[in-house]
Amino acid sequence: MDFLLKIQQSGFCQWIRESESIFSYSGILLLHTIGMGFVVGINACIDLRILGFAPALRLKGMEKFLPVLWLGFWVNAITGAMLLAIDIVNKLANADFYVKMAFIALAIINLRMLKSHVFGDPSIDKIPASGKAKILAVTSLMFWIGAITSGRLLAYVGPGSGAK
Amino acid sequence: MNAPHIHLLLNHFPTVGFSIGLGLFLVALFAKSGELKRASFVIFFMTAALTITTYVSGSDAQEAMKDSPGVSASLIAAHESAALVAFAFMQATGFFSWLGLWIFRRVSRVPNWNVAVVLILAVVTFGLMARAANIGGEILHPEIQSNRTNPAVQAEVEAEQPLAKSWGGFVENHSWVWPTAETLHFIGLSMLFGVVLTVDLRMLGIGKNLLSFAALYQLLPLGMLGFTVNLATGMVFFVATPQQYTGFLFFLKMMLVVVGAVNVLYFMLLEEPWTVGEGHDASITTKLVAASAIIIWIAVLFCGHMLPFYGNSF
Repeated sequence: MDFLLKIQQSGFCQWIRESESIFSYSGILLLHTIGMGFVVGINACIDLRILGFAPALRLKGMEKFLPVLWLGFWVNAITGAMLLAIDIVNKLANADFYVKMAFIALAIINLRMLKSHVFGDPSIDKIPASGKAKILAVTSLMFWIGAITSGRLLAYVGPGSGAK
Repeated sequence: MNAPHIHLLLNHFPTVGFSIGLGLFLVALFAKSGELKRASFVIFFMTAALTITTYVSGSDAQEAMKDSPGVSASLIAAHESAALVAFAFMQATGFFSWLGLWIFRRVSRVPNWNVAVVLILAVVTFGLMARAANIGGEILHPEIQSNRTNPAVQAEVEAEQPLAKSWGGFVENHSWVWPTAETLHFIGLSMLFGVVLTVDLRMLGIGKNLLSFAALYQLLPLGMLGFTVNLATGMVFFVATPQQYTGFLFFLKMMLVVVGAVNVLYFMLLEEPWTVGEGHDASITTKLVAASAIIIWIAVLFCGHMLPFYGNSF
């Protein structure tokens, strides 16, 4: 507990919370939101393609966007760590925070499974997507929607959220 | 140039602009011209996008005018409610016009069902906009004021809870609405970003060898779906608490949406992007337009995100 308080009260975290600069809290949160758009957006387009939207699109071609997705992911990991640090005592006491982390972990595991099962399949784009691929696409969308929802609710539920 | 002035300027798009579109559409139907239908759909779509700025500027105009002598608060509320209904139909007209444009590029004609839907929506929109504009005019044009003998105006003015205000009451009394709308707003923006990134990064070269523009074109309706969700949830926020969305930053966000609308038309109307096949490089112009799309929509996000920090929100 003391260690967590030390993090939260460090000069860096104080600066993030209190500075008016666009590079502090507002900018960090902005990057986090943009990163979300990159990660969920690209993953959702791949998922929806697997489910049959835009059928002329070659799935193998969409694999080329994964590096952009990972860029967004790491921006969010770093900004997320900062956002966690500045309020770490409350966040770690907030069940919703763990729910969000769980959804993200599931979504990333799901993505890796999609990568090997879909993009690693030599018959990709030659035969329709398998049932397993479609299930993975649906769960991917569900996990990301869960992450977004629990993330948004962090402002409304749990300690330090402003909820009464 | 003050807030009421801006609102009056922008009012010309959903009234005069839309009428021109409707007139052209009727000519197109009479002349059985696919190209003229397409042109009128472009006018409907751009008018719908511009009408977003018109609608939101009303809030700034109200802030500036509400304490002026001779300005009736109940007439403003009646105008706001009439404008809200007209706005909803305008956006529906714009959506189906966009869809018609999207379909036209693929099959070289607009399907009959699409023509019928747009025609019905456009005519209804025209009537509703005329009504909203008329009530708006009565706010401070004494020369046209009928002294409330117009029954439609009278009914609105006497309404216990004008539509827009009652929506605000609903949102205030049901605490689940706001977080739900916010969550959907994020999901919608993710959907829009996904399509914008996929299409525009391909134009910039990523996945060049395996992706053609014609195939990516099929993704556009998903992007429009994301935008539509955000327009609807955005309206939830705006109608509930319009006073939070006054000022420059939010208006800039709406203007950037209009620029985004023009940007997507580039990819839907011009020949050049259509020639970008698998393995092909897009032209410099197309690459610039693609890069600007990414910047525009990130800028829209920036404006929205910064509202609590630099705008009038919360």
